[in-house]
Amino acid sequence: MTDEDAELVALIDNELDEGSRGPLLARLAADERLRQRYDELRAAGAPIAASLAELLGQAPLERLRAAIPVDGPIRQPPGRSASNGLRQLAAGVAIGLLAAGATAWVAASFGLLKEREDWRSAVANYTNMYSNDTFTPLRPDAQLQTVELSALGAKLGANLTPENVALPDLRFTTAFMLVYEGSPLGVIAYVDPSGAPVALCIIANHAPDAPIRSERRDDLSLAWWSNSGRSHLVIGRIPVERAVALAQTVEKRI
Amino acid sequence: MSNRAMSEASRREVRAGLEPCLARLWRYALVLSKARDVADDLVQATCLRAIERADQFIPGTRVDRWLFAILRSIWLNEIRSRRIREGGGFVDPEEVLTTDGAREIEVNITASAVLRAIGQLPEAQRETVLLVYGDGYSYAEAAAALAIPIGTVMSRLAAARATLAKLK
Repeated sequence: MTDEDAELVALIDNELDEGSRGPLLARLAADERLRQRYDELRAAGAPIAASLAELLGQAPLERLRAAIPVDGPIRQPPGRSASNGLRQLAAGVAIGLLAAGATAWVAASFGLLKEREDWRSAVANYTNMYSNDTFTPLRPDAQLQTVELSALGAKLGANLTPENVALPDLRFTTAFMLVYEGSPLGVIAYVDPSGAPVALCIIANHAPDAPIRSERRDDLSLAWWSNSGRSHLVIGRIPVERAVALAQTVEKRI
Repeated sequence: MSNRAMSEASRREVRAGLEPCLARLWRYALVLSKARDVADDLVQATCLRAIERADQFIPGTRVDRWLFAILRSIWLNEIRSRRIREGGGFVDPEEVLTTDGAREIEVNITASAVLRAIGQLPEAQRETVLLVYGDGYSYAEAAAALAIPIGTVMSRLAAARATLAKLK
């Protein structure tokens, strides 16, 4: 770890002070090695929140509740409590896995299950763990969006800019890289006005061109298509018609 | 608001805020102690202390942050120091910070691998990672909660990410 790492991580976390931010972005634009380090540190941090969320589901809530001293009724604040949220998260993950399993069974029955289609199940499972709090705090400016998207585009062989991935009524929050079975998988995360996450995922998997198709998996809508050796997926807790409309918007641009 | 009314408001907010925070408190306790039984005890002690000292809570401020501060204080001043005095150790961290296997995510870095790596970080880095990436503290909030400069928050997070980057 170096001071340079600390600056890069602060930039990734949108915590770098204005005085340091501009010079670092300029160095990033000019220095391939620094961009590579930026990508490494960003990728290393991407799964931390979701991994830590796993621990929440393991808390022995019944036992802990029993430990709260009783000297009168404990009033729950109105709305969704954290424990309800956890139950919903756990249920969402379980249902997501069941839905993914059911989809896999149907696909296998029709001889359609291909290795390169499994990535949608992996993404759906991952997306089930995103909450309204996952991406909402992230507010990258145009400069940082450009750096993140160009790094992603370089890995995917696609031209990605803040303009061509801008989507109606969605706010860009971050873009990061994953790998699915050796193929680079880019995730561009947005939030809608309520904070609900929507993701545009792009995988360089050499799939043949295919038109937009859509499906529902539990409360998630998926719309996907392939062109230029890449498959694309719009996924989120939105109506399926909206997912298709977003897919049509992106398909024309990238 | 009179002192009496304020005390009543404080007690109400603390009692109402406890249950929604239980899972996060337990996770914080687990990340600090790396021992499930210690985490259970730590949360229980935090609940008791919070009720006892509810009058000290300022209504309208964040009860979760106040509870986290209590838990941290009990950990540092009572449980950890006693363990160190008594020469007691903690169980293998690799067995504590882990996922339920059924929820494994098929991406390049699995959640369980990340948790194992977090479990092996020094306590100061684990705690900072948890507060910032798990519980949404800003760097400034984490610095205040941990009584350290922001630069130290930055270097702890960078060191943690650099370690995780070697997982690939």
